[in-house]
Amino acid sequence: MEKIKVLYIDDEQNNLNSFKATFRFDYAILIAATTAQAHTYLQENPDIRIILCDQRMPDKTGVQFFEEIRNEHPEPIRMLITGYTDIESVIEGINRGHIFRYIKKPWTDTDIKSAIEEGNKFYLTNSLLSIKNAELQSAYDELGKFAYSVTHDLRGPLLSVLGALQIAETVDDPDEVKEILGMMGVALTKLDDYITSLHEYYSLKRGKLVYEEIDFNTIVKDVAGLFRIAGSMEQIKFNVEVSQQSAYYSDIVSIKIILNNLFSNAFKYQRKEATDKYVDVKIDVENGNAVIFVKDNGIGIQEEHIDNIFTMFFRATSQDTGSGFGLYNVKDALNKLNGAIEVKSAIGEGTTFKVTIPGRTHGSK
Amino acid sequence: MVQNKKQHFIVIDDSKLDCFIAEKIIKNTGKCESVISFQIAKDALAYIKANNTTSTNPTIVLVDIQMPVMNGFQFVEAFEQLPAAVTSKYSIFIISSSINDDDLNRVHNYKSISQFLNKPLTSNNLSLLISKE
Repeated sequence: MEKIKVLYIDDEQNNLNSFKATFRFDYAILIAATTAQAHTYLQENPDIRIILCDQRMPDKTGVQFFEEIRNEHPEPIRMLITGYTDIESVIEGINRGHIFRYIKKPWTDTDIKSAIEEGNKFYLTNSLLSIKNAELQSAYDELGKFAYSVTHDLRGPLLSVLGALQIAETVDDPDEVKEILGMMGVALTKLDDYITSLHEYYSLKRGKLVYEEIDFNTIVKDVAGLFRIAGSMEQIKFNVEVSQQSAYYSDIVSIKIILNNLFSNAFKYQRKEATDKYVDVKIDVENGNAVIFVKDNGIGIQEEHIDNIFTMFFRATSQDTGSGFGLYNVKDALNKLNGAIEVKSAIGEGTTFKVTIPGRTHGSK
Repeated sequence: MVQNKKQHFIVIDDSKLDCFIAEKIIKNTGKCESVISFQIAKDALAYIKANNTTSTNPTIVLVDIQMPVMNGFQFVEAFEQLPAAVTSKYSIFIISSSINDDDLNRVHNYKSISQFLNKPLTSNNLSLLISKE
């Protein structure tokens, strides 16, 4: 285990030396004869956990020094050492929240040790708490975004359908009714896509990774099947090439989410007027790593938007329906698998995604 | 006595169905001189810039909030940058499914937004809006 880092400040060199000599085996000790030196140490060592300071320093008191550093370095636990019965200043220091403990001079080894151990416990609880707080904050932020999107993305299509129903009631022309029905279908498909993405989002956030053997030929057949039908309807050539040389273990749910979203985007964001539409998929598994290319010659992504495409709810185009969830989920899945994604795109020429996912060589059991 | 004047309309919504609904309802009021809809806000902005309307009645613009690339608020911000001679010829209404307080409050920050309307658009709330203009 790493030693607890302790900073001791005292203007008497003898005290510093004997302190260091006594505790250097138990703790990582930094000693400072001036408060200026102590400042430098604090800047350079953000991992200092405990600060012990003599109350009577030439330029200021220990209480003043602690007050000074408190804003910039709130984490280390502050302890005052005093040889005098400066009870007034100690009370003041403690009451103003600057000091965790005070140690009377001359100190004994046991006093110091127990103070450091107690201080360290307090430090650990505090820092754990602040990590948990940060996690909670980010979860809350996401929840806020989420609630907003849910009201809009779930309500939007429903209200559209309601509005369309009201109109359809007043229309007599059967062709027009059919047209309205078609548009209602699109709105409901959008709603369904959104709910599917929500499910993916949730399984990525809360689900545990299960490493099992993956045969990309099978998995691609599963995922690509849906797109083959769509592709032939819209005359999009779909070429899939899989070369798997070695056994590959990964989380099948995450891999499917990644492939599904990349394929879906490649098919969706085609140039409607193009006559040579294609989606090329190339998967190479070698030395336990999977490299996946998904390439299309569709509408492409504007350069200014490329940095944002993985942001939740961001949409770079009005073409076709999208939840703004897909690539966010891809990125999330890749983060869990320690994978990486690169994108190359040019407006009107197409987009290529390159995904690298390190696999395991054995299952999780 | 309300004058029986006819009005021009512009609808901006990324949902094709919502554009269709709005167009239908607008036409059914019988007070519609013309209606044109855009699924891309930037296209609507370009249209407003290029089209020098001579109508004395302001054109009513219904704009959705959540749209990709340029959302409703971004549209209004860009619109407010246009010369007053242009902007004075349009009345802007936000139409959204949003029930988010931030969105509702944000509407007050834009002087060119006349009102916030909830989706779906109905003949009732549209007629109210026309009679006010």
